[in-house]
Amino acid sequence: MSQRISEQAVLFGSWTSLVGIVTKAVSPASANRPAIVILNTGIIHRVGHHRMFVTMSRALGAVGYTVLRFDFSGIGDSSPRYDGLSLVDACMAEIREALDWLERDGAASRMILIGLCSGADHAVLYGHTDPRIVGLVLMDPSIPPTLRYYVHYIGRRLRRLRSWFNVLSGRSHTLRMLMRHMLPIAQRYPLQNRVPRQTIERHYRNSVDSGIEILAIFTEETTRQTYREQMIEALPNVSFGDRLTLEFFPGSDHTFALESDRSRLIQLILQWVSAVSKTA
Amino acid sequence: MTPFYFGDRRRRLFGIFEPAGVTRVGKRAAVLCYPWGAEYVHAHRAMRQLAVRLSAAGIDTLRFDYFGTGDSAGEMVEADLAGWETDIELAIEELRDMVGSARVTLIGLRLGATLAARVAARRPGDVDMLVLWDPIQSGMDYLTSLGAAEAPSAFGPPLVVHGFPLTVGMHRDLSAIALAPPLAPPCARELTLITDRGNPRATAAEPPGGSRARSDATEFMSGVSPWIEDPDKIGAVPVQVIQRIVHWLG
Repeated sequence: MSQRISEQAVLFGSWTSLVGIVTKAVSPASANRPAIVILNTGIIHRVGHHRMFVTMSRALGAVGYTVLRFDFSGIGDSSPRYDGLSLVDACMAEIREALDWLERDGAASRMILIGLCSGADHAVLYGHTDPRIVGLVLMDPSIPPTLRYYVHYIGRRLRRLRSWFNVLSGRSHTLRMLMRHMLPIAQRYPLQNRVPRQTIERHYRNSVDSGIEILAIFTEETTRQTYREQMIEALPNVSFGDRLTLEFFPGSDHTFALESDRSRLIQLILQWVSAVSKTA
Repeated sequence: MTPFYFGDRRRRLFGIFEPAGVTRVGKRAAVLCYPWGAEYVHAHRAMRQLAVRLSAAGIDTLRFDYFGTGDSAGEMVEADLAGWETDIELAIEELRDMVGSARVTLIGLRLGATLAARVAARRPGDVDMLVLWDPIQSGMDYLTSLGAAEAPSAFGPPLVVHGFPLTVGMHRDLSAIALAPPLAPPCARELTLITDRGNPRATAAEPPGGSRARSDATEFMSGVSPWIEDPDKIGAVPVQVIQRIVHWLG
């Protein structure tokens, strides 16, 4: 572990059953810096894909931020909860508990949430409900597809030899997507549990209206988005103004498997968090 | 459940102690040894479930991250297998101190099983039982399955295996693995479970329709391979395998 940071294992939450790691600078953190909370990606525990969230926590801790990465109930090392809350409601309650814990610990009164995929979606859902949130770092959040997305996506698939093998073997995702969208009978079936555009727009609009800064990062090698501006075109009823910083990682997969992509990602987040700390 | 760090300042290890949920005659304690890399990420859920079930059966458990992995200190490029075996020995000491048990059981999955077997052979007086769940028996086969059969250049960057760096030294350590039975020291009981569909020993010896003991020490079982990312089985836990381990430890 770096000489400049310390790490502490903590248990918190209503049942003292949520497991987290707090990373701090050894020297006292600068006053008024926001604390940072990193959320789970799907069912992957708080370490993240390729240990990405550990590296990220330590990089942020080394420059003076307090970072908490933790597991939602039933994920990683945290015990399940038995109060009957839905998954989303439980996640919202537990983000609040994480923030409460950090605030009680004296880490900060302002917070930034970081999440990838479902973690990003949870961050967007939560952010505008809590005035302590000043920033969101969203990696591959759910956004609706656009016409340009379909053109890109299908074109990319058609250029790949493997896609043709999948078509011939009946395993083609692109073919299924075309079938679902182009055949009237298939239109009865929703694609991948999609959340309505209006709902997504409402959460982003509320975030912007609450003064929350957003860093949205998209990777190319996913089935969700194919180009940098897709978020803006997909959410036409949200006036992001200068609250939104958009970044696109060409060639990167959804989990930032390449070390070079992870390094760029962490540098990007360090710079953005530093800028938000000064302005928010 | 107690999450905590142990070890010295330069090699702090993250562990989770799961105390026995029921009192039983004769104190029992087990150290769980994780697999490595992407296999660790995917198998974490199953290993936690195993710890919970062992706790319910009255067995204290400690599961922990090797140096340079998970929440432990260090970076993967600083790690080697000898160091990880030392980490297991340290975890044994830590658990013995915590629960007052004279001997512990080692339970390892994949690379964790291989390391557990090596430690058990080196410290026969400390290990009473050994459970090896799909151990890596041939390092070269393992590296080939990871697409990393060719050693990285000593002068270039580390090889990256499913997002995790693999140094020249670690590649050399892994390629040298050649685990041959008997895997447990004479004074320890041993259970080896083979569930991996890709393991030639499993497909050659498994009888149709289920599990069977090939010998006192090795059993073949059907079940989910929790260390493999399978989009059709996200979050699936190999319940039968876990039950078998808990029952065998009885």
